[in-house]
Amino acid sequence: MSSHILNPKFDRRTLIKGAAALGAFQVASPFIIQARGDTPIRIGMVDPLTGVYAAPAGNEVVGAKLAVTQMNAKGGILGRQVELLVEDSANDVGTGVQKARKLIERDQVNFMIGDVNSGIAAAIAQVTAEKKILHIVSGGHTDSITGKDCKWNVFRVCNTTRMEANSVSSVLFSKYGKKWHFITPDYAFGHTLYDACTDDLKKLGGTVTGNELTPLGTTDFSAYLIKARAASPDVLILLVQGSDMINCLKQVVQFGLDKQIHVAGTQQELESLAALPPEARIGIWMFEWYWKQPGVAGVDKFVADIRKLNNNNVPTARHWFGYASAMTFALIANQEKTTDAVKLAAALENFELPDDVKLQPNKVYYRKGDHQLMTSAFVGEAQSKGKDDPEDLFRVDEVVAGDKTAPAVGETGCTVQWPS
Amino acid sequence: MWQLILFNVTNGLIIGAFYVLMALGLSLILNLSNVINFAHGGFLVIGGYIAYTITPYIGFWGALLLAPPLTAVIGLAVERVLIRPLYGRDPLYSLLLTFGLAFMIEDGTRFIFGPQGKPVTIPAFLAQPLSNELFFITGYRLFMVAVVVIAVTLLFLLLRYTRLGVRIRAGTLDLETVAALGINVQMLRSLNFAVGIFLAGLSGVLAAGQLGLEPTMGTGLLMPSFIAIIVGGIGSLPGTLAGGLLIGVASGLTAVFLPAASEAVIYVLMAVVLLLRPRGLFGEEGMMS
Repeated sequence: MSSHILNPKFDRRTLIKGAAALGAFQVASPFIIQARGDTPIRIGMVDPLTGVYAAPAGNEVVGAKLAVTQMNAKGGILGRQVELLVEDSANDVGTGVQKARKLIERDQVNFMIGDVNSGIAAAIAQVTAEKKILHIVSGGHTDSITGKDCKWNVFRVCNTTRMEANSVSSVLFSKYGKKWHFITPDYAFGHTLYDACTDDLKKLGGTVTGNELTPLGTTDFSAYLIKARAASPDVLILLVQGSDMINCLKQVVQFGLDKQIHVAGTQQELESLAALPPEARIGIWMFEWYWKQPGVAGVDKFVADIRKLNNNNVPTARHWFGYASAMTFALIANQEKTTDAVKLAAALENFELPDDVKLQPNKVYYRKGDHQLMTSAFVGEAQSKGKDDPEDLFRVDEVVAGDKTAPAVGETGCTVQWPS
Repeated sequence: MWQLILFNVTNGLIIGAFYVLMALGLSLILNLSNVINFAHGGFLVIGGYIAYTITPYIGFWGALLLAPPLTAVIGLAVERVLIRPLYGRDPLYSLLLTFGLAFMIEDGTRFIFGPQGKPVTIPAFLAQPLSNELFFITGYRLFMVAVVVIAVTLLFLLLRYTRLGVRIRAGTLDLETVAALGINVQMLRSLNFAVGIFLAGLSGVLAAGQLGLEPTMGTGLLMPSFIAIIVGGIGSLPGTLAGGLLIGVASGLTAVFLPAASEAVIYVLMAVVLLLRPRGLFGEEGMMS
């Protein structure tokens, strides 16, 4: 055997070749869900299918898939079949933008959905505005998307961080106390959610004992929890999401911190509660949509339809985000009988979602002025075990209408600039 | 403030111990076979999910004993079928192979178990913190440290006193001479790979109890382990041990003063070590020439 075979060594060229190969890896073909007919309408979807938000992103895709199946069964959009093209942003801004450009330039998509990650959603919005593509941000919450960085072509289905904070702050204050300590994810979503919460807290007369900014994808929160407890707050507010929420909440309970201080937060998701052991399903939160809504039109059918696609599991808010986003395109395009982005965007202003798409009690509409969907907040408490159903892990105490939690258009900082 | 610092140093050592377990497996494979195993995090995930699957039948303790060797068997098969044909080629091939394998394991796990995380229940007596004051030292975290200490001790005994260990160490220094002495180098590499993957599987079971399971968990735990190897010095197992503990403590201490930088600090530490002592703290010169 030659010494090269036994002891191959790395050199700089090897590493450069490796980097080039990794670059090429990014440009793979998209996963096409459905393809029928000669000139189909194409909906592009960019979501972080890998990484810390893989579970919510995957569920948004399932929701959008159901919408596409249903709209095709009813004749598609303007009589044309609809295809859903899904790309993985890998929870990285650069990759997300690259994938969005590819969907628009190469695959010629008519509409765009995405991203769960606020930072990526905002970056993709730049691209869709430039390319004049109607874009619905399904699950990125940071305020600026329908605030100071709003765009004529960008609409949003999920709540803003300000809406989330407004829906639950006063409940947390009255039930848990006035000294709050925050664990905040260190990127756009976390920063705006923190600002919204602290604004509410100040108005209520409370104080902030500290804020631990944690990198996205943190696995061990012990160092932050040690610091948070040393500050002796009344309540520890967890603003982290996805697997960060799971890891953080799990460690909070392992350390017994929930027996010393209250633990709660704003946005909570079924994906996170389901992944937690029963003893860690604690606290008051807001859900953005919940599957158990007795007597609300269309919900039971939606739950049954998603169960078929989702290993018999119930839908989460993310399924509904994906579903409502994709359905919006079909509803508005079929109503206006065009795919022209500017005309459709104008028609979507104050457009109200029908019962079988909104799937909640209050009026739900895309608000004129900032293009934010006025969707409800489901405020309540996590349950360690479901009463009638093992997946009923949240007790909804109040469903607050979107226009009660959203700040007025004038306060959002949004001025929509339409193309000339 | 001093108490806070002391708490975080202790906490950092606990976290560092976990990185050590991962990094030692990586280091073994890198030293002998020159394979940068990007799939090491993937094997951790496999170990964790095996434990999750068999726990209902044989309990947590049974899973702790059985999951690591089962992971090692999978590792052995991967080495035999995929990695062995690439030993004679440029190391880039095995790097790309394991990089792709990491994606395949992540997606495969997602396909089988779903993207949603899975909770793993640990024995109740381990789930309690020691006291209200030392709340961050739970029974399970102490247990993890104990398992790491035992595993590391056994590994060092294996390397020092057994024939296999002596051959691995000799092969790390000069594989050509070892081959010339009539030792089956292919077999040596396979067994060494299996030992490395055994440690990844063990890390997976421990991490599952601590963090729960999800398909992406390997990626987050892999990077600090690589850094532990680089800081400690490539080629040196004691260096890897020191590197793992050092980055755990550095990360914990930074959390006291600048929480947002607690992850970045390990990269800064790596950069500083590479600038001042490119071979790493305990590394030998020329290992990566």
